Amino acid sequence: MSLRARVDAMKGSAPPRTRTADPAPPRNFPFRGNYLPYVAFGSCGILLFAVGFGLLRLVWVLGDGDATRWKAIFESYRHPLYIVFHAFALVALTWFTFRFFRLFPKTQPPKLGPLPRPPDAVFLIGLGAAFTVSTLLVGLVLGGALP
Amino acid sequence: MNGQGTKTFVVTRFDPDRDEAPRTQEYEVPVREDWKVLDALNYIKDELDPTLSHRWSCRMAVCGSCGMQVNGEPKLTCKTALREYGDRVEVGPLANFPVVRDLVIEMEGFLERLKAVKPWIIQAKEAAVIEGTNRQTPEQLAEFKQYSMCINCMLCYAACPVVANEPDFLGPAALALGHRYNQDSRDDGDSERHEVFRGDGGVFACSFANECSEVCPKNVDPSKAIQQAKLLNVLDWARSFVVPRGGR
Repeated sequence: MSLRARVDAMKGSAPPRTRTADPAPPRNFPFRGNYLPYVAFGSCGILLFAVGFGLLRLVWVLGDGDATRWKAIFESYRHPLYIVFHAFALVALTWFTFRFFRLFPKTQPPKLGPLPRPPDAVFLIGLGAAFTVSTLLVGLVLGGALP
Repeated sequence: MNGQGTKTFVVTRFDPDRDEAPRTQEYEVPVREDWKVLDALNYIKDELDPTLSHRWSCRMAVCGSCGMQVNGEPKLTCKTALREYGDRVEVGPLANFPVVRDLVIEMEGFLERLKAVKPWIIQAKEAAVIEGTNRQTPEQLAEFKQYSMCINCMLCYAACPVVANEPDFLGPAALALGHRYNQDSRDDGDSERHEVFRGDGGVFACSFANECSEVCPKNVDPSKAIQQAKLLNVLDWARSFVVPRGGR
């Protein structure tokens, strides 16, 4: 199955010398190759926005100093819908992070200003270490081991 | 001719004077084992149907003229061996391009996009002749060399889902070419090109589907160029608050 390509795809600014046929889309557009994973990757931005909004709300309520509202929020986290959302967000954002780290070295030019790019191995080890340490820290804080 | 079997070619035909829309026509072609898809098209043109129109020139994957859809995939037909396909081979014009006739696409839009990224060396100050040639080290050359291997075959445009969706998108080859000049140590025009890159249809329209790099017959990596250009573009934008335009 293919959706239609835009009829004005790759058109020049002036009309062509003869009548032309409309462009055909790539086969299986837009379900082929890497297109859907990218759409999913981009859509994780909405998820990040939602999670960020939730965290902001939490900080806001904490700043108010209203213990009842604070407890009510934690109570709402036991709702099955929230648990489903939480599980989905966990899986999606873990996938997002891994994909981001996998793509990241490719996006780095050989030089940023005067600084040459470190070898890929150094890059990946650095990113992996940052991911591991930050995950551990968050785990320790959420687990109550750290204040 | 040494017969190695017969294949059915389903070729897209379009005559702007007669056809409302492209149609297909089938040809039975006696093929040889060492033939490329282009050889079969030339056989059809020479022996079966002289009205068939297709572009080709060098037959050695250098000129970039013979790009077509072969069984739905963008391919250089002079580089695509027929033995990789079954008894039925579909050949059509490159996807995402208006069709002029049969397998010939309208490439004016592509040429305009190439020109838009200023694919030439821009120097802030013309060097005096006495200063000699503008030399580069092998390391400086390595920073952009792969992007200069592009043969403008347009397969990347036929594979790109963003080209199919965004008519203003400059596209993989043009953006990679612009990045190639931005990475060139002899060039000072990166700020000018970054202005183009961050406009409508610039680098930020790219969704990193990576299809362009998958289909490139010369192993150029346009998606890599575009992602790097995004980062450099943001840095250029941030730098513009600190250093006035033209300052380096």
